[in-house]
Amino acid sequence: MSLRDRFPPVLAGVVIGLSMLAAFVVAGRGIGVSGMMTRLVATVQHALLPELTEKSAYFGRYFAGGANPLDDYLSYLMVGLLAGAFVGSVTAGDFRLEVQRGPRISTGGRLVLALIGGVITGFAARLARGCTSGQGLVGGAELSVGAWAFLLCIFAGGFATAWFVRKQWI
Amino acid sequence: MDMIAPLAKTGLISEAMNLWLAVPIGFVFGLGLYYAGFTDSRRIARAFYLKDVGVPVVMFSAIVTGMLGLWALSLIGFIDTSKMFYLPTFLVPMAVGGFLFGIGMAVGGFCPGTAAASVATGRIDAMIFVVGFLIGSILFGDLFPIWGDFYNSDYRGVFRLDELLGLDIGVVVLILTVAAIGGSLLMRAGQHYFWPQPDADVDALRARLKVQIPLVAVALVVAAVMALFPTESFIKPAPAGWFVIQKHAAAPETPEAVTAPSGDAPAEAAPAPAPAPAPARHPRGGSEGC
Repeated sequence: MSLRDRFPPVLAGVVIGLSMLAAFVVAGRGIGVSGMMTRLVATVQHALLPELTEKSAYFGRYFAGGANPLDDYLSYLMVGLLAGAFVGSVTAGDFRLEVQRGPRISTGGRLVLALIGGVITGFAARLARGCTSGQGLVGGAELSVGAWAFLLCIFAGGFATAWFVRKQWI
Repeated sequence: MDMIAPLAKTGLISEAMNLWLAVPIGFVFGLGLYYAGFTDSRRIARAFYLKDVGVPVVMFSAIVTGMLGLWALSLIGFIDTSKMFYLPTFLVPMAVGGFLFGIGMAVGGFCPGTAAASVATGRIDAMIFVVGFLIGSILFGDLFPIWGDFYNSDYRGVFRLDELLGLDIGVVVLILTVAAIGGSLLMRAGQHYFWPQPDADVDALRARLKVQIPLVAVALVVAAVMALFPTESFIKPAPAGWFVIQKHAAAPETPEAVTAPSGDAPAEAAPAPAPAPAPARHPRGGSEGC
């Protein structure tokens, strides 16, 4: 990644912030990603185990009154997000199938850690009612105390863990 | 004068139009994530070693942009903040969730939004991360009775920093703007201290600064002006005290605010004024942040 084909950090942040502001102005709500992923996985489980999922204390609300969980604001946002990143990488000549890894870890090792990190993050996002975007960025802009606690604790958790996984990254 | 925004809540656009407009909004979001370099897991992870602090700088800039925009539009009477959905605070679960989330990010190298964007650029580690994320989400949901009580604990309603600190919204906005700039500079200094790059391309760095300095200057000026106004200028004494959102609102996605006497903002001494009715087994969709 050369410096020229990516934006300076502040400019990139302003672009992301403007997309969040647009959601405030148009929809009166924030942007988010993890909620859509939860709805996706609930839909998959519902297809396999409909009764169990509808009675689930957590997922049941998605199916109340025969609703389709994916018929939701966040799904439309996700379509746009995927298209935006896809167009960005293709126009930059950067789209390729690749396992991104540090210099000291094998491909298999990286994928195992990606899976473990995904499971932890998925659980944590549900516990915190949102992820970096829906809870952190949006709540941060709304001056939410919970969101700022979430953000600070992300950095605390990340810095506390960094030493143990250093061979993966540096 | 009636306020114009949020467009979907003031009836200026239909709900269907609102959904379709989410696509271009998401497009800009995804493009921004790509151009921030957030589709590269190594770049995200290096932030936790202070080796590349671009990630927190982008995050701070995004928050400050959204924050200045939201409260400035509220100040000029363009957006009706009483019609917006605000994220409620469940303080301890959110803090614990954040800590776990940070562990997961350092191990996996992504958060959900960056992983989704990275999948769209063809990256295989991002696809595996998303599979893990889905597994983690389903585990949380299916075993919800185990941690449901903790998940719903420490409810503070919509609890803002200005209420916590006892300051005006504008002052808090200015403090956060200055803190974001100061924090970014401090982390950048840490990066140069721990990971010096004597052969860095000075011209390229200078070109980037030329873009960034005006943006930072504009943010500082806007925040400084906003600090001159009292909280009442940002939040009109609305009929609905939206700072207290009922824990289980009637319909998902349209949380009904509990009507509270205006000016009854939660004081720092009693931050949980929510007259929450019988404890809910689980809150309805409205409290789902993301």
